[in-house]
Amino acid sequence: MTGDNVSVLMIGGIALILFGFAALVFISVRRSHGFKRSFFASPYTLWMVLFTVVPVLLITYYAFTDSTGALTLDNFKNFWDSNYSVNQLYRQMGPEYEVLITRGYVNIGILVYSLWMALLCTAICLFFGYPAAYFMADRKMKFGAIIVVLFVIPMWMNFLLRTIAWMSILEDSGLINTVFHLLGLPKVQLMYNNTAVLLGMVYNFLPFMVFPIYTALTKMDYRLLEAAQDLGANPTRTFWTVTAPLSLPGVVSGITMVFMPSVTTFFIPRILGGGNTMMFGDLIENRFLFQGNWNLGSALSLVMMALILLSLGILRRVDPESEGSGIV
Amino acid sequence: MADMERLIDLQNISKEYDNTLVLEDINLYIRENEFVTLLGPSGCGKTTTLRIIGGFEHPTEGVVLFEGKDITHLPPYKRKVNTIFQKYALFPHLNVQDNIAFGQRIAKVPSAEIKKRVEKMLDLVDLRGYGKRRVDQLSGGQQQRVAIARALINEPQVLLLDEPLGALDLKLRKDMQLELKRMQRMLGITFLYVTHDQEEALTMSDTVVVMNRGRILQIGTPKDVYDEPVNSFVADFIGESNIYPGIMLEDQLVRFAGCDFPCVDKGFGHNQPVDIVIRPEDIQIVDMDAGQITGTVESVLFKGVHYEMIINAGELEFKIHSTVMQEPGTRVGLSIIPFNIHIMNPIPAENEEDMPDEIIEGDEVS
Amino acid sequence: MSRIIKRTYLAFILFFLYVPIVVLIFYSFNAGKSRAKWEGFSLHWYADLFQDAAILKALYVTLSVAVIAAIAATVLGTLAAIGIHAMRKRPQGFMMTMTTLPLTMPDIVTGISLMILFTFARIERGYFTMLLAHITFNTPFVILSVMPKLKQMNKHTYEAALDLGATPSYALVHVILPEIVPGIITGCLLAFTLSLDDFVISYFTTSPMVQNLSTLIYSKARIGIEPTLNALSALMFLSLLILLLMINRRAARAEKR
Repeated sequence: MTGDNVSVLMIGGIALILFGFAALVFISVRRSHGFKRSFFASPYTLWMVLFTVVPVLLITYYAFTDSTGALTLDNFKNFWDSNYSVNQLYRQMGPEYEVLITRGYVNIGILVYSLWMALLCTAICLFFGYPAAYFMADRKMKFGAIIVVLFVIPMWMNFLLRTIAWMSILEDSGLINTVFHLLGLPKVQLMYNNTAVLLGMVYNFLPFMVFPIYTALTKMDYRLLEAAQDLGANPTRTFWTVTAPLSLPGVVSGITMVFMPSVTTFFIPRILGGGNTMMFGDLIENRFLFQGNWNLGSALSLVMMALILLSLGILRRVDPESEGSGIV
Repeated sequence: MADMERLIDLQNISKEYDNTLVLEDINLYIRENEFVTLLGPSGCGKTTTLRIIGGFEHPTEGVVLFEGKDITHLPPYKRKVNTIFQKYALFPHLNVQDNIAFGQRIAKVPSAEIKKRVEKMLDLVDLRGYGKRRVDQLSGGQQQRVAIARALINEPQVLLLDEPLGALDLKLRKDMQLELKRMQRMLGITFLYVTHDQEEALTMSDTVVVMNRGRILQIGTPKDVYDEPVNSFVADFIGESNIYPGIMLEDQLVRFAGCDFPCVDKGFGHNQPVDIVIRPEDIQIVDMDAGQITGTVESVLFKGVHYEMIINAGELEFKIHSTVMQEPGTRVGLSIIPFNIHIMNPIPAENEEDMPDEIIEGDEVS
Repeated sequence: MSRIIKRTYLAFILFFLYVPIVVLIFYSFNAGKSRAKWEGFSLHWYADLFQDAAILKALYVTLSVAVIAAIAATVLGTLAAIGIHAMRKRPQGFMMTMTTLPLTMPDIVTGISLMILFTFARIERGYFTMLLAHITFNTPFVILSVMPKLKQMNKHTYEAALDLGATPSYALVHVILPEIVPGIITGCLLAFTLSLDDFVISYFTTSPMVQNLSTLIYSKARIGIEPTLNALSALMFLSLLILLLMINRRAARAEKR
């Protein structure tokens, strides 16, 4: 098979290049004069160019071309102009798929929905995660360190299985409904709606909010709190004037670490949303794997990356670490 | 040949970092068995000079000679000098004896021999029985001693010391100063010492090199540098000084503070603007009518050995050290003998603050 | 009083985190195939597990990819960290930005971009491409674990070694490496666990013929997961737990010294 040959060639090529670099490093070490340690970064640099920079360039290339390879902005027009997209789909798929089209396979709608869900998830994680981190970081809390480990352990189990486990709790014949049945209560529909998806997201991403906040809080000098109290601030005031601002960097990285994966998640909505909901990640996967439309899929990926870089930029601005580190 | 006694010879050394001149035309030689101190404020280029000799930096211009041979581009591990670093730079993963033995192992000395030498070094630095300790269990002073032992075991011809006592407290510092001086005499090794502490420099050195803003201002014995500073910067940096602008009226007569004072300097020309430097201990407090000028005692501070008094005489203030205290508010006379008035050419009024300390020797700040 | 509130709150959050896991493990002992109905205790899913060729193959793929990718990423990342650390300020900043940037890229974009690369280069997707992808996303994490250790080092220790006659390579092996070993271990473990748990990137960079556990679970999610997978993940969970405890023990002992 040709594919095998090519991949063997590729392995050989990469091995050769790595070997070459190793040899160069070795030689420059032996030749003591002019030796540079920064040379050690070159295999990684090469790797990064091959497997990070080139792929991103390829995505960009596909986003700005059509299926024939000609330069075009159609993929983005398609994205921003919902009617354009609907009409295109209609033309491509024919009238028998009209139901599908009106059911919301429209990009902007999905994007807004994804952002909204991610925002909700982030807010909920912050709301529940901050107190958890705060209590764990309490110096009087005896088992703080152990509780941190307890937060980590669930992540050692495959997250798909953990999400699927929620199904057995939430579904019609699941744990909760069984208990309800025993108590003589009516059956409730818990699965296949937004709440279920949101629950799954919060469940998966909560630890990512707790850890950075916890780290920021434990790094804080506790004498600052004593100083604040010494200067007459009551506990509430101390919290809002000292603890909260100083934990802001942790909050910012927590928000980043929750928001980003939530916008792009595509497994959770599929399992817990049962296909009634579609998020941006599903959309991209759909375009690539089922429609085979790489150009549109790439454009969507680019939009998503742009959105994430934008939100990161905004968050960095909020983060006092980058601007006022000298003040404190 | 006169050059034979020059162990290290720096010729026209300049060093540039990112277009900032850190060292400018440094010329300096160090003789065998000499204790030379580079003295100057943070960012004056003294550490850079040391690092050029150690081989960690390469000069932009100029050559470094070692026993007459050009070593400008020789890497550090091929030089016959060893360094005591700021904050010691001990290897944290090795215990005391492995730290000390490091250089000997590289030199492939037989291990029995290494063992013997390490014991000897531990004795020398007064750390007998500490061989198996982890270095992070030692106090600052002990770590300092390990760093010294680690360098000296290699029997370097020159030992470079970069503010080695900076992290120690005052008492320990004084003890270590004496200790270092003792070791230098005993072992007959050339020491090149970097410090910003003028007292340390004066106590220990055979030769003091005063540096500022990348240039050498004065080279001399501690006594020379203290008694005959070449300009008011050196005078101010070494010991405390009263510095005033004045005018040289003629040879051996200078005017400042509204009075004419006899002095011993000549050759400045007529009506030449000069700087006048007087040490606080060189001004005598006398009765009001017996003084050359009069003033009022503003404040008195007890300094242990002496009192420090500020005396206000018109527009000028005099700082005076004396063992006899005067009550604040007392009117007194001041008298200065000609020998104690030092006349200097004023420092050209160029941009005083143009050298950022941080980029040049970031380490020294901490 | 407030202490009780705090503890209750934390207990509540932990309960939320552990419920699905307990449920999952619980049903791995269920005699029936149902995800919800209890039909009596049995260990037969555990027995089945070792008969199931697909699962065993996926387990092999998962573990071998995780081990190889972790080792490769550790070597690559450690060298890179040492190199980047020795750079001057500007290129150092640039390299660090280029290292953190992939971390801000959503997994799905990373996966898809690599998929495009492999298709573009006409490399058939499978075990090898998945391995390449895993090394790619693991390496930045290793660099970010090793870098702080390098920065913590007294920068003169390396110079001190040279000063005492060590060549740069000797100093690297005998002075720098021993000091950054904790960072290297952390990075390696991090890479291993990330690789073990990865779904999205594997999903896009492998073929249906070569599946790791995550993609296998995904492909079965719609049809219905057999409790064999529950049994497997219970076992893996347990072994990871033991590994974690052992590491913690060691760390605690190291701290005591």
